Amino acid sequence: MIKRLLIANRGEIALRIIRACKELGIRSIAVYSEADVQSLHVQLADEAICIGAAPSSQSYLKIDRIISAAEIADADAIHPGYGFLAENAHFAEVCASCKIKFVGPSPEAIRLMGDKNMARQQAIKAGVPVTPGSDGIIETEGEALRVARKIGFPVMVKAVAGGGGRGMRVAHNEVTLVKGFHSARTEADKAFGNPAVYIEKFVQNPHHIEFQLIADSQGNVVHLGERDCSVQRRNQKIIEECPSPIMTDKLRKKMGEASVALAKAVNYENAGTIEFLVDDDGNFYFMEMNTRIQVEHPITEEVYGVDLVKQQLQIASGQPLSHHVLNAVPRHHSIECRINAEDPDNNFCPSPGTISLYYAPGGRGVRIDSHAYAGYPIPPNYDSMIAKLIVHASTREQAIARMRRALGEYMISGIKTTIPLQLEIMKNKDFIAGKYDTGFLERMLAEPGKPKK
Amino acid sequence: MKKETNVDLKEIKALIDLMQKNGLTAFELEKDGFRISLAKEAAYQSGMAYAAPAPAAAPAAAAPSGKEIASPMVGTFYSAASPEAPAFITVGQKVTPDTVVCIIEAMKVMNEIKAEVAGTITEIAAENGQPVQFGQALFRYK
Repeated sequence: MIKRLLIANRGEIALRIIRACKELGIRSIAVYSEADVQSLHVQLADEAICIGAAPSSQSYLKIDRIISAAEIADADAIHPGYGFLAENAHFAEVCASCKIKFVGPSPEAIRLMGDKNMARQQAIKAGVPVTPGSDGIIETEGEALRVARKIGFPVMVKAVAGGGGRGMRVAHNEVTLVKGFHSARTEADKAFGNPAVYIEKFVQNPHHIEFQLIADSQGNVVHLGERDCSVQRRNQKIIEECPSPIMTDKLRKKMGEASVALAKAVNYENAGTIEFLVDDDGNFYFMEMNTRIQVEHPITEEVYGVDLVKQQLQIASGQPLSHHVLNAVPRHHSIECRINAEDPDNNFCPSPGTISLYYAPGGRGVRIDSHAYAGYPIPPNYDSMIAKLIVHASTREQAIARMRRALGEYMISGIKTTIPLQLEIMKNKDFIAGKYDTGFLERMLAEPGKPKK
Repeated sequence: MKKETNVDLKEIKALIDLMQKNGLTAFELEKDGFRISLAKEAAYQSGMAYAAPAPAAAPAAAAPSGKEIASPMVGTFYSAASPEAPAFITVGQKVTPDTVVCIIEAMKVMNEIKAEVAGTITEIAAENGQPVQFGQALFRYK
């Protein structure tokens, strides 16, 4: 069993990992930047080492300092959390060469699934449906038309080097395709210095549904069901639920089997998540794989009765998946709201500052994963998420009522939070009916009389 | 009544148990010329073995005299180039920005640390062979 674990992260996930350590009798070592001196993870870890100045590039992303800290603290393993170095194959390699166990998959698996194109190829090889698309780069409008006719409209022209939503054009017919092909190339050339584009089927009003995977070092792989993460603003998730309101037993079986097949094909180890786009007809397409623990893992824990972070540590210690994980079945319903220090009335402008009053909700079926406390000065250098509010109830209807109740009790003063927005979503008739897709939140925010997007 | 104060160990143990049971952190009792004061360490004193700063303070927490030369990296502090060599710095020594003041070993690499400031060393704040963290005081100078 791992004896001394260094947590290469901060905020609520660092706290989450420290909690798992305490329950497993593992000594926890925190690292922190100068901006995080007063952070809860520093206080609750058994040991803490300052690794640099506030900017992530000078602290949480500094591989050499983190490894040095692991060496002077005599850590035998490192948990990278999510974000930062969690999906950095080079970091995983450095850990391995320093004989420190990286809690996660191999560097090869991280590298393979981190490249969107390679991941897509792996998915195809493993028989997982991917969005139909061109085999490679499209050079002429003639080619573009041929591919589009083959895969069917609507399609999306996408820049190979693209990002941030640029170099992309949706086309619903041949006329707009030709126009879009040329303008996407021009935009891509200007923005990324590379005009190369490819074509993919455009999934209308997709649902973002992801599957939780867990695999040990002995080849056992299981999935722990899905999470619906379609409530997003600018591609950032703000509410997640398990199970998905649009899931059926048949679809879950198909998607679950596809997920496990892909994980096995890349010899995956530890926790991971496969993200899919699902259309209204129940067709699902592989989007990408995240080779780490995810922010929204708690809703799966509540519904499947599994402590995913403890499992991660046990897997990293060489233990096989336990009986209760291999036989886990979903029970009841769970919803999570990501509470961000942002002002929903002012374009979600970040709201760093000191929390003056902090009262977290409680009662049956309410869980808070948070590093916030009264008097905590939120540093402006990192992401704005200050808490995750997770509820668990016997039905979806009761989970929504419980979330409404919990959000109403949650008192955070001194900063602005997204709580008012999430309360509104819990009262929205489409959300309550389970009829929402990734365009839902933007549509809700665009309604007249609503806060600005 | 006896003039001498009899320190009854059983009574003191009872007091300590009382404190624990009621979650008290401080207790004082004065009686018949006998006075006892008990204090308990705060629960969340995490074992910060690397001279980490106190919760409410900024990294340069201590208020001893003089300015500090702080560690630019995480590693093990060595005051000399090798166990046989003389220490780089002695108290009272004048340094310039390019003076090598110590070695910090990180990931098997011995890094020579320069003073980066000019002044006279007043204190060697780090201990030879001990781990240091980023920002930790290595030397104080004036």
